[in-house]
Amino acid sequence: MRKFIVRRVLYSIVTLLILSTTIFVIVRLTGDPAVLMAEAGSRPEDLERMRHQWGLDRSWPVQYVSFLQNIVMGELGKSFNYRLSVSELYFQRLPNSLTLGLAATLISVLIGVPAGIVSAVKVNTWWDNIAKGVALLGLSIPGFWLGLMLILVFSVWLRWLPTSGAGDWRHVIMPALALGWYFAASLLRLTRSSMLEVLGSEYIKLARLKGLPEVVVIAMHAFKNALIPVFTLAGVNMVVMINAAVIVEVIFAWPGIGRLLYEGIFQRDFPLVQGVVVMAGFMIVGINLVVDILYAFIDPRIRLAR
Amino acid sequence: MTHSRSQAHNVFPVTATAVILVALAAAALPFSSSATTAAKGKMVLAWHAGLTSRWLDPQDHDGTATPDNFITALHDALIKNQGTELYDHPALAERFTMAPDARSATFTLRKGIKFHNGEPVTPQDVKFSYENYRGAKADVFKRKTESVQIVDDRTIRFHFKEPFLDFAILFGTSNVTGAAWVVPEKYYKQVGADGFKQKPIGAGPYKLVRHEPGVKIEMEAFDGYYRPVHVKEFVMVSVPEAATRVAMLERGEADLIYLVPGELINKVAKLPGVVLAPVLSGSWWLEFPGFQDPKNPFRDKRVREAVSLAVDRRAMNQAESGGLGKPTGNWINPDVQYAIEWPEFERNVERAKQLLREAGYPNGFDVDWLTPLPAYYSRGERIIAQLREVGIRARLQSMERGIFLQRLQSGIKDWPGVQIIMQGSRIAGSWSFWYEAYFKCGGFNSRDRICVKDLDAKFDQYERSINPTERKKIAEVVQRGILENYYLVPVFRHSFVNAIGPRIAAHKWQDVFPTITTGYAYPWEDIKLKEQ
Repeated sequence: MRKFIVRRVLYSIVTLLILSTTIFVIVRLTGDPAVLMAEAGSRPEDLERMRHQWGLDRSWPVQYVSFLQNIVMGELGKSFNYRLSVSELYFQRLPNSLTLGLAATLISVLIGVPAGIVSAVKVNTWWDNIAKGVALLGLSIPGFWLGLMLILVFSVWLRWLPTSGAGDWRHVIMPALALGWYFAASLLRLTRSSMLEVLGSEYIKLARLKGLPEVVVIAMHAFKNALIPVFTLAGVNMVVMINAAVIVEVIFAWPGIGRLLYEGIFQRDFPLVQGVVVMAGFMIVGINLVVDILYAFIDPRIRLAR
Repeated sequence: MTHSRSQAHNVFPVTATAVILVALAAAALPFSSSATTAAKGKMVLAWHAGLTSRWLDPQDHDGTATPDNFITALHDALIKNQGTELYDHPALAERFTMAPDARSATFTLRKGIKFHNGEPVTPQDVKFSYENYRGAKADVFKRKTESVQIVDDRTIRFHFKEPFLDFAILFGTSNVTGAAWVVPEKYYKQVGADGFKQKPIGAGPYKLVRHEPGVKIEMEAFDGYYRPVHVKEFVMVSVPEAATRVAMLERGEADLIYLVPGELINKVAKLPGVVLAPVLSGSWWLEFPGFQDPKNPFRDKRVREAVSLAVDRRAMNQAESGGLGKPTGNWINPDVQYAIEWPEFERNVERAKQLLREAGYPNGFDVDWLTPLPAYYSRGERIIAQLREVGIRARLQSMERGIFLQRLQSGIKDWPGVQIIMQGSRIAGSWSFWYEAYFKCGGFNSRDRICVKDLDAKFDQYERSINPTERKKIAEVVQRGILENYYLVPVFRHSFVNAIGPRIAAHKWQDVFPTITTGYAYPWEDIKLKEQ
């Protein structure tokens, strides 16, 4: 078991190293931030001054070593534009992103899972057709369009909810719905297929033959087993929603990490983009590591197979 | 040189006197104490991009037309662009004079001016701010300045190594440099440059209450300001999505919104109590990179003129700016020093075809690429459609903005073959900044793509001259030379469309956007709310 954990930790470190190198190179391939920020009236001297101020006049290897050193020290560098440490900016925005991510996850689970169960239990009925329609709409309606429609209906016409920004609970409803809608659809589809698979298995047939009521068969036997992959997906979705809800955060002016990333990319703020991506990578790799280790504890075949 | 100086002696007393009179007249405006007018209410501005902290520090002015939106609220300058004054509106300085030989400039501070922390604004703060300034064009100021002398407790004098005729226009244009903007020396040193960007203290009409980097800036009227400030609370909030900004306006969550895109203009115009503010902004023009090459069809002036005749400027304005822009003659904005007025170019497709026939292109010709400034691709598509009518067949090349700017600055090697670039820009201050950036051989954005030697020689003459009359004349000759030869083909001046909500007191949009050198709503202290 110890060997398995050590191996998984090493894999995680290598993954993070590859991720950080990739993002370091990619942001630099997108162009010179000084060129992008300077306007027509600027001169080469102004550009040089900016590059020097941001440490971009150093060679790539020097910048890379400094970048890695900072990560090891728990520092992600200083944003060009905000002149704040990236970790400070990240943690300023994290509570908002957690709030939105949790609310959207809740919405996606509350819509996707029950609808998926009903769809599987009532397969090929009009309930199933409705659920499939909901899944299709969820996957095909773009988040930005849904967001704008929600603003139009609930803020402008009905005047029930504020248009944008973060504040009290009313501010969370629309962005969480716009963000969670897509993920609800994906959860619905997965729950349906997973439930159908479980409902067709031998032990469910046995439970029915034993004369157990259908509710008990579904709730106590099928549901528990079918939900393992569903909740794994919900967990991964939540990490994505926390770190990459770019479009929804822009539409609703939600001050989260996705918008921070968007602004960083838009303004070529290298340390900011690198920092946010590395932090998201840490989160995803960390969660996967924990899940892998937990799986290995629960099911010895996993650690033996690897 | 001696000759030039003697000319300068003839001209400068008149100029200097005029400057003093203007300054005194402006200073005599009713700067009643703010204590007499109690600021009240709250105003929210929905800003159209991220709120970058570095824009809150004039010491790090990046030379773009963006920081002025913020520094005009939190800070103040000795002189600045305001209203119809291009650069010489007296602000912290109640008057200033340029020496007749342009070798020094003297500023006298207003009495009793303070920073937001209650400390007085002193000549020492001015000296520190100037000497510590490291933003755009800092090297120009440093190279030309010999010393900064504190004459007395209200007077400060800048001594230059050589005549520095452009000093005042560079110094006082807040969307070009931040050198005239005064920060408190003691506090700045105490918190450092980065700390200052998080919690700036200035001498402007509004003081910072709360700053969420990238998200929101909350401010409060500064009761120690030397002019009345009418609105008590002022919040700038970043809302990148245009439709959301419009929804905020419609719902009363925002009182001012910037950048209403073309497709939303009609909707906003119909909102009750809302006033559209179509501020004329950047100019757009066509450039023919490498037209000097003998194989390039644009080498022939008739071909360049045919392009101009093919362009439907009014249709462009209607489609791209909801008709709120202006089909222009000159490619340089008229709100800068020495820009000349030029009549709108005519559209005449038949004449364009005839010119092409005369130039040896009866069936037109192919243009490899037409590349518009990103992300204004639809403007490029319209030009392509208009050129096709006269037989010039071009393909659209859409580039990512950073790549486009990088290619501009790398020169002709990145623009091979037959190409057209659709440029757009807004530069405040002087016509010479436009020429230097977009036309001059070796210029920041023009590099080696244009290079008209005789005009560059005239521009050098302009730069050397310290005689304003001579300079103005040369500026006219050079601009005429560009326009008459169609080296650049002006298209239109687009509109930066903003909107004013019903709570703000405005009979017309110019009441809120009176400053002609910017698209932003300053001076902020003049904005009033309607009586409830």
